[in-house]
Amino acid sequence: MAQLPARFRTESQRYAVEDVPFSVPAASEVADLSNLINKLLAARDEEHKHVEFDFLVNGQFLRVPLVAHMEMENIPTEEVVEIEYVEKYMAPQPEECIFHDDWISSVQATEEWILTGSYDQTARIWSLEGKSVMTIAGHTEVVKDVAWVKQDSLSCLLLSASMDQTILLWEWNVERNKVKALHCCRGHAGSVDSIAVDCTRTRFCSGSWDKMLKIWSAVPTDEEDEMEEAANRPRKKQKTEQLGLTRTPLTTLSGHTEAISSVLWSDTEEICSASWDHTIKLWDAETGGLKSTLTGNKVFNSVSYSPLCRRLASGSTDRHIRLWDPRSRDGSLVLLSLTSHTGWVTSVKWSPTHEHQLISGSLDNIVKLWDTRSCKAPLYDLAAHEDKVLCVDWTEAGLLLSGGADNKLYCYKYPAIASDVGA
Amino acid sequence: MLSSPKERPRFPQQLLPSAVPRRFPRTIPPGEKHLCLPESQSLRAAEALCVLHHPHAAFLSTLPQDIRNTVGNIPMEWYQDFPHIGYDLEGKKIYKPIRNKDELDKFLEKMENPDYWRTVQDKMTGADIKLTDEQVDLVHRLQKGQFGDVHFDPYEPAIDFFSHEVMIHPVTNRPADKRSFIPSLIEKEKVSKLVHAIKMGWIKPRKPKEDTPTYYDLWAHEDPNSILGRHKMHVPAPKMKLPGHEESYNPPPEYLPSEEEKLAWEQQEPAERKLNFVPRQYRCLRAVPAYSRFIHERFERCLDLYLCPRQRKMRVNVDPEDLIPKLPKPRDLQPFPTTQALVYRGHSSLVRCLSICPGGQWLVSGSDDCTVRFWEVSTARCMKTLPLAGVVKSISWNPNPTICLVAIAVEQSVLLVNPSLGDKLLYGATDQLLESYVAPEEERVQPVQWVAATTEEHGKGIRLVVQHSRPVKQVTWHGKGDYFASVLADNSNMQVLIHQTSKRWSQNPFRKSKGLVQCVLFHPIRPYFFVATQRYVRVYNLLKQELTKKLMTNCKWVSSMAIHPGGDNIICGSYDSKLAWFDLDLSTRPYQLLRHHKKALRSVAFHKHYPLFASGSDDGSVIVCHGMVYNDLLQNPLLVPVKVLKGHALTWDLGVLDVLFHPTQPWVFSSGADGTVRLFT
Repeated sequence: MAQLPARFRTESQRYAVEDVPFSVPAASEVADLSNLINKLLAARDEEHKHVEFDFLVNGQFLRVPLVAHMEMENIPTEEVVEIEYVEKYMAPQPEECIFHDDWISSVQATEEWILTGSYDQTARIWSLEGKSVMTIAGHTEVVKDVAWVKQDSLSCLLLSASMDQTILLWEWNVERNKVKALHCCRGHAGSVDSIAVDCTRTRFCSGSWDKMLKIWSAVPTDEEDEMEEAANRPRKKQKTEQLGLTRTPLTTLSGHTEAISSVLWSDTEEICSASWDHTIKLWDAETGGLKSTLTGNKVFNSVSYSPLCRRLASGSTDRHIRLWDPRSRDGSLVLLSLTSHTGWVTSVKWSPTHEHQLISGSLDNIVKLWDTRSCKAPLYDLAAHEDKVLCVDWTEAGLLLSGGADNKLYCYKYPAIASDVGA
Repeated sequence: MLSSPKERPRFPQQLLPSAVPRRFPRTIPPGEKHLCLPESQSLRAAEALCVLHHPHAAFLSTLPQDIRNTVGNIPMEWYQDFPHIGYDLEGKKIYKPIRNKDELDKFLEKMENPDYWRTVQDKMTGADIKLTDEQVDLVHRLQKGQFGDVHFDPYEPAIDFFSHEVMIHPVTNRPADKRSFIPSLIEKEKVSKLVHAIKMGWIKPRKPKEDTPTYYDLWAHEDPNSILGRHKMHVPAPKMKLPGHEESYNPPPEYLPSEEEKLAWEQQEPAERKLNFVPRQYRCLRAVPAYSRFIHERFERCLDLYLCPRQRKMRVNVDPEDLIPKLPKPRDLQPFPTTQALVYRGHSSLVRCLSICPGGQWLVSGSDDCTVRFWEVSTARCMKTLPLAGVVKSISWNPNPTICLVAIAVEQSVLLVNPSLGDKLLYGATDQLLESYVAPEEERVQPVQWVAATTEEHGKGIRLVVQHSRPVKQVTWHGKGDYFASVLADNSNMQVLIHQTSKRWSQNPFRKSKGLVQCVLFHPIRPYFFVATQRYVRVYNLLKQELTKKLMTNCKWVSSMAIHPGGDNIICGSYDSKLAWFDLDLSTRPYQLLRHHKKALRSVAFHKHYPLFASGSDDGSVIVCHGMVYNDLLQNPLLVPVKVLKGHALTWDLGVLDVLFHPTQPWVFSSGADGTVRLFT
């Protein structure tokens, strides 16, 4: 059998082996190489326990026999090939399955609480154990997106955006478990599909079906903004149907020609919005100007930004997840395409802790966990949902959440590897 | 015969006794002699014969008492009147035998003597001779023309001694003549004369023969390209069909007709028969009888050959590839819907009609389960269900983006429904618009009744009910969103009505019925109105109130119609699975007739912005075509089929009932008989 010269390298000091070239069988697969490393480690340290490793050649995960991989990547087999190895990512462990009354349109979780928006016109707060803590009813239409603004031990501020064209800013008193609508943000002329809070927690932006992107203040006040109402509407009726004080947008950014499906803050003063008009636009939040436009050729359903790798991931209706570099000026090229879904990608979310990993949910009922170093196939498929997956989230504590049209919210524990955090 | 030496008697001459030879001056051919003998003289002849044929016996035994002819070969009638013939050596008369038999004696002799038939009279002596068996045999042989000698072989191999071949041995041993080696003086003289004549120029040498051929090419100067060229016009006779299995004497069983087939064959007209014989099975080839129709068939073949005109078909030698128009590849015509993205489930019966709001956020579908459902396009979420009194035949969302109103055709009425979806201001404004109607003072006579919805209906979203006298088949809005037209299932002139929502006013634009109206359509820009009957599409000018054009669809039954957003092109789907594209500027006949579907077309649709059109059919497929219309009047529209979308299950032989494009995205919706609505992106 043919042998290949190889040199092994790792970032983690625990599992480092000698930096000398080894001769490995050309047809060896991941399991063979993993055994080899384990033997090396056991020879050095008798207390070593067996660890599964994953191997990277030229920044790509090894998924086929080594020689086939090198042929695919056009790596010359004569020279010493450098193989990087990392501890194998464990499969996400299913934790909870939280039942809802209706479709789950959005989810956002913190270290303690999970906030979901549902098609039954309510938003709900759940504990991590899957216990229903609070039901927030107030919208007259489907809740399309939810977001946490602020979290204290006493009270939390949270937002819910709905198809009834309003965004409600709620204050949740944790101790007394009371919720109160502070502000009703009015101004959109269509269903508000997406909201995002900036990193200072004082502002948020919203994208709507009416093609507008609006920036609002997230600071609760006692004053009510003046609002030009249709004069022919009875004043009294207006008062009764309104929850909280009316708030108007700070800025309105218009430029999209179709509905905005997803918004996020990519920096303190930068907003990124994905739209059905096949573009992702980057806005300067301070001046309200358009910074750049990334043009795709399909409708964007979702966009996510990772400050770790400074990349945008977009999910679109053509089943691909695309990675973009928002800072590249020359042609705004797609860096990478992750293709494995068979339906629209409705939701993507970068890992807050790992620069290479992201999660995606699709209309094909499957949630996929991706590593950008393995773009041909996802790391894991989470096929628990029985209907369309509409939203996914990934918390810093390593909790993966996905909700969908089967009224279920699935939670997975994803063991983050300590050595990889911040890598 | 006698000239041949072989015919001579075999005895040599020297064997004859010296005394005898003079008596036989000549040999007598026995046969001839005998045959010409009269009966009275036959005795001598027989004697002679006897002598001839038994020479030894004759000489040895009969010489002493010889009573032979001594007179020689003289005519015997000279002795007719004498009692003797000649004289013997002593000079005495040799008397003829006494012949005194009269006729009676002859007869008795003939009756009694068994050898009478072989008794002959010798003329020479006048004696009666009884012929021996050998002699009788000889006579018989001669009578037959055979050789007298039994042992003679006329067919002996002839040895040709003198032939043209020069043998190595001379035939004779004679030495060569002297003259054979002495030059001939006469020849010398002749030669010298010739030599002299040549020298003198009297004899001229022979002229050499000319090599030029005596024939010539009759067609040498013929134009090789002329159509009537002799060889070009040759048409070989058509070949007969080669015999097949059915002609075999022992055909495979599937070629043998059953009894019913035989009966059917017999009842058919001979000209209609597929085979002009019945295949039959025989045990072996030997058992096959003669073919009774053989002469018939040869005759018919001959008739065919000389009666059928044989004509040369001028075939144009064109590569079939060149005839196919150059169409761009579908992947160069992106975007168009390619895959099924969402399925809108909820209806329990076939979904007949679809419509979408101008913004593209909401989809509405009407079904045979007597409900109308409103869907969120992006998630396939059913937002509202509106139960109605009957089957929903047609549905149409107001195309005006500032009005939120849906027209629904249910049984005999058209409902105007405010779905309360989308912008609150918009649907509020729509309600206000409808409520702001002030009834005119004088009641006008209308073909329909406009009724405001009851409170209960109002809660469901229904705002106005337009009650017709007949079931409503179709409802369609004008582009501005104020007028709408409805088609009634009727035969009279009341088939098409045009309604104005703001004034709640309806009118019947047609005085006469021009056929069964299938569907109607407003022109998106100009004041034209399209009415599709079963076979024609009539274009009316609403301002001038006259017929502008009549389009011939070339289809048997038009099912649906759609107009290009530019307004100059129309597509018509028909139940005979054809799709006709009309260019109104070009002609009243279809610019192209597309036959992509296998079954009846139910619906056709144009995209508002993208150059796409789609057709849905009973075969369960939606075919998306690229239909580019150019502003340049000289350039004809480019039609390219790009995608067949399948997904709907066939239910009750029905497939896709309605197709609809998303107003902004290159997506197509289709509703099917399986109770689902599908989105292809």
